Amino acid sequence: MDPLLITQLVNVAYGVSVLALLALGLAIVFGLLGVLNLAHGEFVMIGAYCAWLVQGWHWPFLAAVPLALAVCGGLGLLVERVLVRPLYQRPFDTLVATWGLSLLLRKSAEAIFGLDYRSLDVPLAGTVDFLGATYPLYRLVLIAVSVVLLAALLLWYARSRTGTRIRAMVGNIELAQALGIPVRRLAAGTFTVGSALAGLGGVMVAPLVTVQPFMGLDYVLQSFFVLVVGGLGSALGLLSGAAVIGGINSVVSAAVNNTYGYFTVLITAILFLWLRPRGIHARG
Amino acid sequence: MREASVGAAALLLLPLAIGDYWSYQLSLYFLYAIAALGIGLCWGRGGFLPLGQATFFGLSAYLSGLALIAFEGSAWLVLLLPLAALASGLLAYGIGVLVFRARGESGPYFSMITLALSLLAYQVANSWDSVTGGFNGLKGIPGLPGLDGFTAAYYVAAVALLSSLAFTSWLLAAPLGVLWGALAQNERRAVLFGFNTNQLKAVAFGVSGLLAGLGGALYAPQQGLVTPQLCGFLLSADLVVWTAVGGRTRVLGPVIGALAIGALSSELRARVQFWEVLIALLFIAVVLRLPQGIVGLLAPLERRLGRRRHRGQGLEAPPHLEPRQAPRLVVDATSAHVGEVHILDRLSLELDRPGIYCIIGPNGAGKTSTFNLLTGELAASLGRVLLDGVDLTGLAPHRIARLGVGRKLQIPTVFPELTIADNLSIALWSGRATRMDLLRPRLKRWSNPILAELRQRYGFLDDTERKAAELSHGESQILELTMALVAEPRLLLLDEPCAGLSPEETAGVIDVIRWASRRLGATIVVIEHDMSLVKELADTVYVLHNGTRLARGSVAEIQADPTVRAVYVGGEK
Repeated sequence: MDPLLITQLVNVAYGVSVLALLALGLAIVFGLLGVLNLAHGEFVMIGAYCAWLVQGWHWPFLAAVPLALAVCGGLGLLVERVLVRPLYQRPFDTLVATWGLSLLLRKSAEAIFGLDYRSLDVPLAGTVDFLGATYPLYRLVLIAVSVVLLAALLLWYARSRTGTRIRAMVGNIELAQALGIPVRRLAAGTFTVGSALAGLGGVMVAPLVTVQPFMGLDYVLQSFFVLVVGGLGSALGLLSGAAVIGGINSVVSAAVNNTYGYFTVLITAILFLWLRPRGIHARG
Repeated sequence: MREASVGAAALLLLPLAIGDYWSYQLSLYFLYAIAALGIGLCWGRGGFLPLGQATFFGLSAYLSGLALIAFEGSAWLVLLLPLAALASGLLAYGIGVLVFRARGESGPYFSMITLALSLLAYQVANSWDSVTGGFNGLKGIPGLPGLDGFTAAYYVAAVALLSSLAFTSWLLAAPLGVLWGALAQNERRAVLFGFNTNQLKAVAFGVSGLLAGLGGALYAPQQGLVTPQLCGFLLSADLVVWTAVGGRTRVLGPVIGALAIGALSSELRARVQFWEVLIALLFIAVVLRLPQGIVGLLAPLERRLGRRRHRGQGLEAPPHLEPRQAPRLVVDATSAHVGEVHILDRLSLELDRPGIYCIIGPNGAGKTSTFNLLTGELAASLGRVLLDGVDLTGLAPHRIARLGVGRKLQIPTVFPELTIADNLSIALWSGRATRMDLLRPRLKRWSNPILAELRQRYGFLDDTERKAAELSHGESQILELTMALVAEPRLLLLDEPCAGLSPEETAGVIDVIRWASRRLGATIVVIEHDMSLVKELADTVYVLHNGTRLARGSVAEIQADPTVRAVYVGGEK
């Protein structure tokens, strides 16, 4: 096959898997708790700043992973307790409150790190020959990590005791509570995991993008559109949504420019709202 | 009115007191305040939150800037600048139609799409160099012809703000504004009264786009420079914060928010290190603790000034827009399912002459689903529903309601934050008010003989300025029943109208239903569990079981029917 085509295909695979990784946290929180966390992108941003800090301290890149998980997870736990828990029955207010949180996190990052665009050195800077094409190693690793992470999480959700309890909570919260399932703790845990995963996504993409306080906006919108297109509550939905949004974005952006890519994504999302309001793979 | 004139006069004299610098600063924030007014209208009244309002501000600012450059000094500009604002309004309306029709909800989907729009608008403005001037924007935009200097700029902005305030207050006080508030509280109830709520929300969003557009159109000549930031999320976010902190539920809130927080920020942003962080915290605090904003704190004062306008009464409501006659309803072997579950299974009903029909059946028989089918909320997968030969299947619920199908829901649903008078007015407008009517304040004085007679029965209905939320359960049931009746439907669906009522209240309701059946000449269908009530009410009884018709006949026939007895093992009361 034509090496150029291979490169393009790997590019699309990269775009799709990174998008799935970034949307994962939002999908978990929105799909399971019904909370659209508008600050999701800011958790990604914080994860990215963790990676930048770690590199500045000359620590190994991998040290950023526990740091981001701890910072974003801890923040998620706090946010759930203070902001989200009082509002579970009021989805519209959650939307507004998490939007306020996104503002707060953005402005805090701006106050702490300034508005400068930061870039990182790419770890694993080498390239590999892949079916005749040359491709950056780090991107391939990123694809692999996304796939493994998604698969592991899915398996855990389907097989583990906690996964079963979460499914019970999502299915019927009153009944789950009556059965003695600690729904409050589960919900808090779910939100924390979602936030931590967003931070992890931030670490992973940080070397490939410019890190700045406003980077989260784009991610939360893209992730949201993934869910609009793919549907809520299933891994297949997440993947197909990421495939459609990521695919369209990379193809149109490569063919014309970013603005058109963006525009096409927006139109696609609106079309899906019209024609398939529950997305490609809705739960149940 | 007097307070308003005092406020306006103060605004116009203000420059003498505060000097050129602050006048200049304020005149910019007047324009932002106009845009914030629109957010208050959508969010505080309509219940949906636009997160990308700068799109419309920026679009209009670019259009106005381009026009000012192209036709420098020409008198035509007086016409072109309103057109720029109008373009923003139309764009917002179009987007509203698109999004709300797609998904009649007011939650995250609408907000996210508007947020995405502002990011898109920013990108377009930033990259379309040949028209927008790219990153550096449109520079050297001339001012409005004949209006030079800071003072003129101040007065232009102040007059625009005052006019926008007057316009918005007028809209919110008009029937349209009442309906916006109603649909934010209970959209389904508004739809069942025949209002196209998606359209109404799109209009609200269109008006907010128009207001943002007005601000933008005046921004270009005032500032002389239009940059992509004007379309972006930063301004969008600021507008939302100002609206919330000022108080979204009152017309003055967004204005006060924009002027206080906005103008203050422009001073303190650079000086106080964590100023923006503090503002974000303030926003979150307001969302959690003080939904009424700063203006809400003034509410006690407002009450002291005491100014409930007295609304006149006794303007006879006009006849319905669609001709009304005694209905003939045929449900012809209709099935419906949700997912895999079959809810209705080749159900057939013939309601061929006016009177009272009761539907009974065990739980899960499909009684309420039958009502949902008739009001267009449950789609039929098979069969037809004919009202006077018109097939209702596939018609939108509000269209069916306009054909004269009324409904009272099982759990009383009224508009809790509206007064009794407004609740009743909405019912009176149902099927009678044209689109233009919704702008006429005198609609609030509509009444009809049915309402007058029900007021005789139920004295609490005269307590017009009481909020519906303050009513007892029984009173809410009566209010909703009254609302259903004063709309004078020809087919009225009552879902357990006596649920939760005391024996006396129940007797009263039974009496009202019988009275209404004669008075309106309507067909009334009642879902009822209590056989003693069925005996008192029904001309004809339908028994449903497993989504299909088990029996039809008079009460005596039904009671003698062995298949019915078999379903109700041991029978019901």
